[in-house]
Amino acid sequence: MKLNAAEQALADVIAEARRNRISMPGRAREWDVDIASAYRIQRHLQTQADCVGYKLGFISPAKQAQMGVQQPIYGRIRRSMLLEGEVRLSDFIQPRLEPEIAVVLRKALPAEAEPGMAAHAVGGYFLGVDVLDSVWMDYCFSAVEVIADNASGGAFLLGNRLLEAPPSGTLRLYLNGVLRCEGPMDALGNVEERLCWLARSVGGLAAGQIVFLGSPGQAVPAEAGVLEVRSADDPLLLAKVA
Amino acid sequence: MSERSTAAEKHADGREQNIDALAQRLDRAWEERFTIPPLTESEGVTDAATAYAIQTRWTALRVARGERILGRKIGLTSKAVQEQMGVDEPDYGTLWASRYFPAVNGRAEAPIDLFLQPRVEGEIAFLIGETLDRPGVTPQQVLAVTDALAAAVEIVDSRIDNWRIRLADTIADNASYGGLTLGPWSRSLRKSDLRTVGMVMSHNGRPAVFGVGAAALGHPATAVAWLANKLQSFGIPLRAGDVVISGALAATIPARQGDIFVLEMHGQPPLTLRFV
Repeated sequence: MKLNAAEQALADVIAEARRNRISMPGRAREWDVDIASAYRIQRHLQTQADCVGYKLGFISPAKQAQMGVQQPIYGRIRRSMLLEGEVRLSDFIQPRLEPEIAVVLRKALPAEAEPGMAAHAVGGYFLGVDVLDSVWMDYCFSAVEVIADNASGGAFLLGNRLLEAPPSGTLRLYLNGVLRCEGPMDALGNVEERLCWLARSVGGLAAGQIVFLGSPGQAVPAEAGVLEVRSADDPLLLAKVA
Repeated sequence: MSERSTAAEKHADGREQNIDALAQRLDRAWEERFTIPPLTESEGVTDAATAYAIQTRWTALRVARGERILGRKIGLTSKAVQEQMGVDEPDYGTLWASRYFPAVNGRAEAPIDLFLQPRVEGEIAFLIGETLDRPGVTPQQVLAVTDALAAAVEIVDSRIDNWRIRLADTIADNASYGGLTLGPWSRSLRKSDLRTVGMVMSHNGRPAVFGVGAAALGHPATAVAWLANKLQSFGIPLRAGDVVISGALAATIPARQGDIFVLEMHGQPPLTLRFV
């Protein structure tokens, strides 16, 4: 896939900032790039070979209105982005944490799938944390800038307790014992509809792929210590931030 | 053809013959019930790759004669056992259906004469519902394709004299597989926290050992994910319908004729194994 000159310019800025672990001012210039082009840049920067799933962003209508989009956005998850029990702050530029729910598919979901097929394809739900890491300074970005930057997707944590349905009630994130973020599970919307939308957008989802459904609350800056995510019932995701 | 390649081929041929001979030797020990000296000592087989080649050949040999494959077992999953063996990863073997002892009303019997130096351990079994043939399998992907789980009593046994095993010995010896019985498949166990699922194993009416899911590599699904990835490195998928026993949750107990073992796992009906 070849990018045009405008796309390449934005791609280069993102790749360079990522490589040097520095942030760049966002909304500072016009890139002459539309949403479709932004996703082309994302695909170009995130090698498809080890794509193990996707993350959703801007899942609330309010956030969509603020960003000038009519739909959620998505980013790609590579195998190397899945962390095991520990977040190392030095790996990131300006990491923020969001409590989320992730779906793991047990069956493939074709692009033209209907909601019933999506429900059938889901293998289980897990607590998760999206470790955001935008290259855009202070997370000030335009829609095309954040989409091209993989929807700020940096790294991901997954709990290992399978839930057969999404938990209800409130999802909460604690850092060092202090409640830092909470949000209602209702904010995730209809999971099957979301999966169908994603499958349509990316040309189908494969068996085994992991989809982070988006955060019901505001992201919080990461800091060293103990990270806990809990939902109303008993599951727990426990990790160390160092 | 150059001399060098001829020599290399001869060497490869020799290795193949050796693997075949050792697989035959293990099979004779299994069938005729005698133990043999450790292959690490008598044959100098010390690397895991050669040991897996012997194990795979042995299974192929048995399958050619009508043996069926029920699934896989994972061994060396506890930190204590890994330290004792001086290894930092588990190993796996194949569950042969000829040594599956089906439980009826929660009770199974195994003829003690089939075994050499049997020991018993309690484990969690996974029933895989979708074939896993992609690289980099995660514990969550394992759980997502698991149809059900069950309490399992594994009989481990060794064809090696006095259990004097090192890593390559146990790998070649089908990960010291002896036999297996299973409780009923449970959907509810699928959504419980497998790390904190507890078990008590009683021996002749007395509670003997106590275990917990986290004893198997921190989480039983982590052990199964390791297995899926290890099998893939040999080009073997973990298939829909495979049964996987994910590693001992507590210490093993030696078994003698007449012994009765009862495995009680949280939320599951008790599973009794009697050696007759």
